[in-house]
Amino acid sequence: MNGFLAVLKKELRSVAHERTIVIAIVIQLFIASFSSALLIGLLSLYDPDSIGVYARVRIGVGFIGAPNHPLVGLMRARGLRVFPYADSQEAEFAFQQSWVDAIIVAPDDRGGPVEMKLFLPRAEAESSLILMVLQDPLKRYENVLRAQRGIAVRYADLQGLPPTTFEFLYSIILPVLMFFPAFVAGSMVVDSLSEEMENNTLETLLSAPLSLNAAVGAKLSAALVLAVAQCVAWLALLRLNRIDVQNVALVLLLAGIVAGIVAVAAAFVTLAFRDRERSQFVYALFVLVAASASYLFDLSPIKTLTRLAIGDVFTSAANVAGFAGLFGLMLAAFFLTTKRFAAS
Amino acid sequence: MKQILTIAWREVTRLRGRFSGTSPWAMVILLGALGLSALAFRQASVLGSGLYRVGVSGDVPSIRDNRFAVLAVDPARGKLLLDQRALDVFVDGAQVTARRDNKSLYTVGALKRYLEKQELARIYATYEITRAFPLRVEVNYLDTPSPNAPLAPGGTLPDLTAPPSGAPDASPNAPPTSASDAALQEQLKQVEETGALPEIRLDPGTDKEIMIPSLTTPPAPFAQVIVAFLYILPVTFISIFFTSSFMDEKINRRLTILMSAPITPLQIILGKMLPYALFALAATACIALVTRADLSLALAIFAPTTLFIFAIYLMVPLLYRTFKDTTFISMLATTLTTAYLIFPAMFTGINDLAYMSPLTLAVKMYRNESFGLQEYLFPAAPMFLIFGLSLYAGTRMLNEEFLMGYRPLTRKLADAIFLLMDRAHPYASVALLSLLVVPLVYIAQLVILAITTNLPGQAMLGGALAASALVEEIAKSMGIAVLVERGSVRSPRQVTALAFLSALGFLVGEKALLLASVSMVSQTALSAALFNTGLVFVPLAAHFVFTSVVVVLNARFRVRYPIAVIGGVILHAVYNLIVAGGLG
Repeated sequence: MNGFLAVLKKELRSVAHERTIVIAIVIQLFIASFSSALLIGLLSLYDPDSIGVYARVRIGVGFIGAPNHPLVGLMRARGLRVFPYADSQEAEFAFQQSWVDAIIVAPDDRGGPVEMKLFLPRAEAESSLILMVLQDPLKRYENVLRAQRGIAVRYADLQGLPPTTFEFLYSIILPVLMFFPAFVAGSMVVDSLSEEMENNTLETLLSAPLSLNAAVGAKLSAALVLAVAQCVAWLALLRLNRIDVQNVALVLLLAGIVAGIVAVAAAFVTLAFRDRERSQFVYALFVLVAASASYLFDLSPIKTLTRLAIGDVFTSAANVAGFAGLFGLMLAAFFLTTKRFAAS
Repeated sequence: MKQILTIAWREVTRLRGRFSGTSPWAMVILLGALGLSALAFRQASVLGSGLYRVGVSGDVPSIRDNRFAVLAVDPARGKLLLDQRALDVFVDGAQVTARRDNKSLYTVGALKRYLEKQELARIYATYEITRAFPLRVEVNYLDTPSPNAPLAPGGTLPDLTAPPSGAPDASPNAPPTSASDAALQEQLKQVEETGALPEIRLDPGTDKEIMIPSLTTPPAPFAQVIVAFLYILPVTFISIFFTSSFMDEKINRRLTILMSAPITPLQIILGKMLPYALFALAATACIALVTRADLSLALAIFAPTTLFIFAIYLMVPLLYRTFKDTTFISMLATTLTTAYLIFPAMFTGINDLAYMSPLTLAVKMYRNESFGLQEYLFPAAPMFLIFGLSLYAGTRMLNEEFLMGYRPLTRKLADAIFLLMDRAHPYASVALLSLLVVPLVYIAQLVILAITTNLPGQAMLGGALAASALVEEIAKSMGIAVLVERGSVRSPRQVTALAFLSALGFLVGEKALLLASVSMVSQTALSAALFNTGLVFVPLAAHFVFTSVVVVLNARFRVRYPIAVIGGVILHAVYNLIVAGGLG
């Protein structure tokens, strides 16, 4: 036990000393900030429900058509500034003066197809944004026209919250934050074991009163301790950002178990291949396969984590227990077979 | 050339030896992995399956989207389950019931978007087309007004309302114009074939397009970005072998033998790189063929990207001290490059800054949109230049003393910078170093700009200006600080002279690099502030003053380097703010 603790302490101290863990944390901070920047960027530009909420733009539209045209009200409701013009000369002058960003020429509804004209600036980025903001009022006007033609469109007036943030947060950002430490833990196990083997220091370590299992177990534990510590930090950070995570204890437990599974798998790989190059390659492949495969199954750790975090009533400790069982089995199998690997 | 090939062959042999025992299994695992990931990639578009629980009753369109877990219940039980939070939303015919909490409201939001599409399909199937799609919008383009445009109203512009659509003689039952009808038919056909709504596709090169509002979705380039990312994946995997190659030499102490042979470090690096570069080329070609992209165009787009990734991974094994170092530094490099490549490409067609990533060009390629030489050079030129810098740095750092030293990472970096310079010619070295790191500074600043674009107004400006000032001040002063530390220069006069040369080198470098690209990014007010004031028009004097402050504080007053840099940054940021404020 003393030997185990000594190796555990040495591993943790080396990580602290080399400041490599700082790099890992910087990476995760970077991923988190980059993905939230990405999220807000995408929301403000691509999410039809969020455009205008995030993009702090006030788009002015020059409107040529009947003063009581239904589209005018719909556009104003969407936060657009609408300026009526009597003829195209005036509207064009306003466009040239940058008073308006776009011009709409709207004929009255005479029963047939309504052919509207929209004039946008030629700059691609600008016109895309204008068109995306205009799409919602245009769709609503289309439904007005449909109603006048006797077609009732159901579900058009549902009021909800834009779901993109919710989906992105719980099905991508949270799993990334909770499982990236597991990936780091596995990599650390590969490095720490392969370094001992390639520098032929494992024999030296084992000549101390210490079994192979205790030595490897200590390295696994060190990786696990760090992984869980990172997850705790992330959960605290999410709380500070007022992001609500339900079942925190189970979420943390699941993250820890997954880190354990990945770390044991990494140790298996390293004992089998013995050098860093092949071990890292096979380990990276393993993670890639495991992550992709887990998308295909309904009971994957990613989905379980998401459901725990959103407080799904059908997901509970029983789901986590399944992964705990798998971890236990892998750990047992690992410790029973290390001798054979070491002998080979 | 012969030596390079010899080294390359040696590298191939080394790799073959490594994998000789495991090859059949490795191949099986590799193929399995690729197959599975491809499968998962196709699913990746669907976020969070089973995220929402929906109860349905009566005539509701079938919900076939794996984000929704659907349960058929009778109305009474549905309401009960909703109250018990076992359901998030209950849909009874056209009636949608939700709770007032966020989760339920998000479900409504998601359901709304899904059901809207289903309703569209129902309307299309039930009613004749002209009634089902009564609105057509003809999109035209006007030249953007320039500040110098003549103020005369109208003038040469065409009459916008030329064929008055609402002309009095148009009878209600007159057949619609063929153009918009044909466009509608075509879009409906596309929806039927692909099962997806067409994206808003703006092509300001053409004169007019017909848009059907409900048949259009915002132009989200996610699918193309994912395909473009497939090109990057094999290259990042190669990095494991490429870095291991150098580590092997180090562990087995064969580098000494290699260096004593009549070959230059450049030949060693190029030789080791050659097999992997060929593999990367082959992988690019394969992906281009499989995804039916233009082969030469794909190669042109991804060649600089591949070189850029190699440039970064060349530095990893040269700087590592332990195995964990290698892994973490590689991880950092992978994350940063991935973010740098993916992030801007997501904004293709929305923001011109998207062109900072070559993936944007790939997205354009897959959309059959054209781009010019300037758009190509904007991302590619800095990548080529960084590859050149990395090669040069590699040749200087590839010596036993440097590689075997076990020192803190910051020391190692300082050593590397020292090695880059020629001790006999400190003045020329410092000027040249500042000139050569400009592409790196430029990429760092683009990344800063991309990140800070999403912060609220004032914080964005302040954060971006301060961060880019930091990058610049480090770039200009690091060489001098290292020289001072090694005692190569001592007197304040020497240090000040070096600061002047460093500022000069930096200014020349940025002018040269930005000459071509500044017109690409001068669109937004912030990038104008960053690139015009920070990179092009900051006079030599300002650069000189900031750098002098840093190096004189460091050399003369023994202020520690990081603190000295912060001093320079504060000055620089304040100056930037004043200039940017003056412009705004």
